Amino acid sequence: MSVVEDVLPSRFSISGMDARRKITLLVTILFFAILIFATVTTTGFYSVQNFKAIITAAAIVGIIAVGMTYIVISGNLFSLSVGITAAVSASTFIWALRFGLVGAIIIAVVFGAVVIGLQGLLIGFTGANPIIVTIAAGALQEAVAIWITGGVSVYPPENSPSFAFLVSPLFGIPFPVYVFVVAVVLGEVFIKRSRFGRGIYLMGESPRAGRTAGLPITRLTTGAFVVAGVCAAVAGILIGAFNQSGTMTASRTLTIDAISAVLVGGTAVIGGRGSVVRTAIGAIVIATISDLLLLRGYSTPVQLLVLGVIVTVVVILSYLNSERAGRS
Amino acid sequence: MSAQARMKPRFSFAEPKWPVFLLLALVILTFAIPPIFNQASSAFTIYNVLQNTAVLGMVALGLGLTMIVGEFDLSVAGTYALGGMVAVKLGTGNPFVGLLAGLAVCVTFGLIQGLIIAKLKINSMALTLGGYLVALGLTGTIGNNKSQSFSNYDIGIQLNQPIGTVFSIRIFIGIAVFLAVFLLMNLTNLGRGMRATGGGRRASRTAGVRVDAVVILTFGASAGLAALGGILQAYCTATATSNPGLFPLIFAVTACLLGGLGLAGGRGGAFGIACGALTIAMLSELFSTVAAPQYVTGLFTGLLLIVVTTAASPYVVRKWRERRIDRSLKIESKALATSDSSSQS
Repeated sequence: MSVVEDVLPSRFSISGMDARRKITLLVTILFFAILIFATVTTTGFYSVQNFKAIITAAAIVGIIAVGMTYIVISGNLFSLSVGITAAVSASTFIWALRFGLVGAIIIAVVFGAVVIGLQGLLIGFTGANPIIVTIAAGALQEAVAIWITGGVSVYPPENSPSFAFLVSPLFGIPFPVYVFVVAVVLGEVFIKRSRFGRGIYLMGESPRAGRTAGLPITRLTTGAFVVAGVCAAVAGILIGAFNQSGTMTASRTLTIDAISAVLVGGTAVIGGRGSVVRTAIGAIVIATISDLLLLRGYSTPVQLLVLGVIVTVVVILSYLNSERAGRS
Repeated sequence: MSAQARMKPRFSFAEPKWPVFLLLALVILTFAIPPIFNQASSAFTIYNVLQNTAVLGMVALGLGLTMIVGEFDLSVAGTYALGGMVAVKLGTGNPFVGLLAGLAVCVTFGLIQGLIIAKLKINSMALTLGGYLVALGLTGTIGNNKSQSFSNYDIGIQLNQPIGTVFSIRIFIGIAVFLAVFLLMNLTNLGRGMRATGGGRRASRTAGVRVDAVVILTFGASAGLAALGGILQAYCTATATSNPGLFPLIFAVTACLLGGLGLAGGRGGAFGIACGALTIAMLSELFSTVAAPQYVTGLFTGLLLIVVTTAASPYVVRKWRERRIDRSLKIESKALATSDSSSQS
């Protein structure tokens, strides 16, 4: 990727490029200035307990966002229902505890991989619009979940194995954080070092060129969505373990948080560029913002508003800095 | 006379016809299926369908216009909520002030989105996702994160009052708006400019269409129409909801795709969108007539959306075109063969 970045600026007038870079730099500095100012002026932000809350929140959102990164880099925009799949996976996990802990984890992960993977298969094979397909799939999952559960929360079976360790601290750090770190490392290595990962970058860079070059578009798209499904399911298992039950309300802003994390990390909306590590940083930033708003007593709509402004600004900047601006 | 002669060729109805047949099929089903469940559809069913279409059809019309120019406005689900909330908050004294305020806020919102999309060539789905969140966040912030009730009940009662069994003022407003957009699309240069823009940006620009202006206006119109739907809904139920969820958007996308619009743009129009919206409204009314649980409706809308999106996908569209070309080639070769044999003899 770096080669492309080195070569391309010469196509543009230097002054034009500079202005774009300047705007981006200015906005980034302004953003972090506001963020730091907010952390200093918010009482209760600088405490060990609060930092733990932030990294736990960042871990859950981050795990989902790792999967979302694959979808965005593959050039399929976003999935608008990974949060719902995470919530349904949580219920699936809690229900499946009757088959033992390992069985429950496997069932939940397979569930997430299949549900989101099927959407990827449909999108990859037919070229159907990813946003609409994922919205529809979300509505479908919600309906089926209500059908099966009757709209009530799912609780663990009587003789359920203990799963408390999934959310309790290990060496003083909450367990989900370890899972998050593992997901980021695996996700980053897999997308950067494997043939599959490079295929995803190439496909995202230019689907048409990829098709002409003989890239297996259907398989790559399905693969990217399967990764997203596994990540959503893993996050779902942690959510289920944390709540000790499964409900649909658990999903509220997860999808949007994950999308914001990917975008704030600087992964390009149009695909082909970005990384899982960037997303991890994005997830921590998003979790910090949510935490700040919560500490200052703002309600969910204000969080949505702030996320909306951030997403809008990042999307605009991402296009300003893209060499494909004006062509897509 | 000369004016008429000039007008006549100008009117061009370039929409697919099959949405009408789909709608007719559903009308028949709506009356044929309930008796199986010992229920019956009546004039009231039609009234309900029209009432729902008057509100959600407006959102579909807004989204549809952006689809025709080759864009996609996800934020209609947000401006739908925002319009209703602003109108309810500011319209307590005079509902018209609320209506104008709601429309003004949302049209401005849409024009800004359109400006950014047109000038920076940003993928409209990505940008309007941000816009959706901003609109929803604003709605919730204005409404304190809960539903706001509207103290002026009279306006709702007047709007909903049945006229001639199956109509109401609300329905007449819906029909008027659809008719206005239909005429605008088919009689004015703007309408043709919209279709042309959706068909091909570069060609349209070369042909003298002011593509950027068309895109900006279209996003203003889509936000305005969605807001109008939201305001009608809020006034008629005397409440503005803080977060209506994604259902209005799902309804709108399905209506547009069933109405013959494509995601690539350039195809379809207000007539098709009306047919599509009526079709889904019929479908959900059918479910409530046979007293199906809420999740069944959700199940069907989800499935239906997946099916129509797949049917509108590049792969299926290409296969469909290939088949049509094959068929016309076969007819042509057959004609050639017969003319050959006749010339030989």
